[in-house]
Amino acid sequence: MKILVGYKRVVDYNVRIQVKPDGTGVVTEGVKLSANPFDDIALEEALRLREKGVAEEVVIVGIGPADLTAHLRNGLAMGANRAIHVTTAEAVQPLTAARVFLKLVEKEQPGLVILGKQAIDDDANQTGQMLAALWDRPQATFASKVEIADGKATVTREVDAGLETIEADLPAVITTDLRLNEPRFIKLPDIMKAKSKPIDVIELGSLGVEGGDHLKTTHYAAPPKRSKGVMVKDAAELVATLKQKGLL
Amino acid sequence: MTESRLADLTARVPGLRLLTELTDLIHYGRDWTRRWGPAPLAVALPSDAAEVQAIVRWANERQVALVPSGGRTGLSGGAVAARGELVLSLQRMNRVLGFDATDRLLEVEAGITLHAVHEAAREHGLLYPVDFGARGSCTIGGNVATNAGGIRVVRHGTTREWIAGLTVVAGNGELLELNRGLVKNSSGYDLRQLMIGSEGTLGVVVGAQLKLTDPSPPAQTMLLALPHMDALMEVFGLFRSRLKLQAFEFFTDVALKHVLAHGAQRAIDASEPYYVVAEYDALEDRDEQAALLAFEEGVREGWISDGVIAQNEAQAAALWRLREGITESLAPRKPYKNDIALRISAMPAFLHEMQALLARAYPQMEVVWFGHIGDGNLHINVLPPEDMAQAEFLAHCERVTRLLADALQRHGGSISAEHGIGLVKRAYLDSTRSAAEIALMRGVRTVFDPHGILNPGKLFE
Repeated sequence: MKILVGYKRVVDYNVRIQVKPDGTGVVTEGVKLSANPFDDIALEEALRLREKGVAEEVVIVGIGPADLTAHLRNGLAMGANRAIHVTTAEAVQPLTAARVFLKLVEKEQPGLVILGKQAIDDDANQTGQMLAALWDRPQATFASKVEIADGKATVTREVDAGLETIEADLPAVITTDLRLNEPRFIKLPDIMKAKSKPIDVIELGSLGVEGGDHLKTTHYAAPPKRSKGVMVKDAAELVATLKQKGLL
Repeated sequence: MTESRLADLTARVPGLRLLTELTDLIHYGRDWTRRWGPAPLAVALPSDAAEVQAIVRWANERQVALVPSGGRTGLSGGAVAARGELVLSLQRMNRVLGFDATDRLLEVEAGITLHAVHEAAREHGLLYPVDFGARGSCTIGGNVATNAGGIRVVRHGTTREWIAGLTVVAGNGELLELNRGLVKNSSGYDLRQLMIGSEGTLGVVVGAQLKLTDPSPPAQTMLLALPHMDALMEVFGLFRSRLKLQAFEFFTDVALKHVLAHGAQRAIDASEPYYVVAEYDALEDRDEQAALLAFEEGVREGWISDGVIAQNEAQAAALWRLREGITESLAPRKPYKNDIALRISAMPAFLHEMQALLARAYPQMEVVWFGHIGDGNLHINVLPPEDMAQAEFLAHCERVTRLLADALQRHGGSISAEHGIGLVKRAYLDSTRSAAEIALMRGVRTVFDPHGILNPGKLFE
């Protein structure tokens, strides 16, 4: 079985995000960029399935500008067999990404597509679901446990009420939640080896994908700063203050 | 007697917060060493420099010893109050007083934690680069008193490099504004520098003007496994020549064992006697290329057997925990700590001598090595065997430390790199400082603190 994994690059989640002064976006220059944490989990899960003998090949997919290569090399160093780099200078929205994945799915015929449940830059949480619909295959989202046997995926999902376990016929789309696994460290010798692993470069325009970027972002702004707390002397003053603010 | 002294103090300093409950006396009477039973007279928590000054004047008149106190994370007993001293805690004086963008100076009260300073600097888009594991509890006053070092010294130097001015209440009760934030000041003795590393024996630091700098560029963090001790200095030399190091720290397999037992993530498959956490500037692809080439060369030379690289900040933090978690993981065992410094060039020869000496001296004890190899600073912790009484253990360690001190003297090193002398290393000061130096140090102390009320017994008897 072949597993296709979405591998997006985002601003590292430990970096304090700064909005550009002119409100056209967030600052990404000189800022640490890393794999989307949920995508790291997706890749880790795929590698574990390969190590268990469930899959033979793990292919990572990145959509982005030319300099995405270094990021994809990291995924290869982590253990993916090869990478597909869909090049575009523009950031793509979930529907476009899902259509790109559909094209790649048709070409690669994977038994499983594992995507992060969302990317931490736009937090859209849509690509996996859209891909499943376009592909007309089952989806198992927010996975915290995955088992593959007899052409079926048994997936434990993190849902509002707790955990839910479902079965999905393969091929299927799985999206990962935080507790699925803890991604491994990249071994330095594997970075060397990753240099000789293949990266297929495909121009987005050549895929014949209908553009799905219908959302227009008009302005970026930092969240409003929390105002300072106020110390009150006693309960009476507390009550009075709350009343004055119309909270009681 | 006791009552009347404290009554006099409260009369002189109306509104002074004073703690006398037993639990407070214990809490404020000790640091991270656990050798001395805390027994202070009381704990004073002044709210400003004027109150500190009043306390120091009172102590002079009533002949009460004072122990200036910050976060009490010290490892040399410098903040221990075991002989009826008044603990003078700066804990309530923890404000940021101001920031000047032109001067790039952050003015703070001495009781502010190092972590709060980091945060305040970051709010202004700048960096206060001194950093180490105790950042959440230790305070700037204590950092100044010990000239604290930590994990960024290889790039940024010790606390001393970052102090542009100090506000101090000297032992004689005078309030001093030392250097006032000047970059250049060639007007005689720089008393600010004298205060740094004085371990609370010359004055009470009540405020500081801290230099801030540009934030560090994005960094990569690596963990390397090394097959033998000689490789440590070789790999340091190799990496320093190829990369802009932000940190270069080492620890042994014994340290790793303890920190893993304390809940850290293993991160690396290889089992080797030595490990290194290296962090370096990684602005562009070629920085990463340089790091990989250095790694490859280290492997070819037989100095490195394996390595991992953090993919993101969370993994970097996990790698750092392997190094920074060591002190905490050992603490329950009450280790005997050595914190020694050498010229980097003297390190290889010294390491061999030390390894042989410690194997002879501590045959049945666990010895944990770690530290800032790039600064010539080793931490050697000795863990007591389960069945050995503490007194016997300490007596044995003291004998070994004398041998260690003799070796240091031969190699021109120091018995304390960054923890301070305090009570723990007082007996060995003469291995690092000449008799003439110590005599001058005592003389300086008498000038600042004629009645000897400030932290008596620390640094020297």
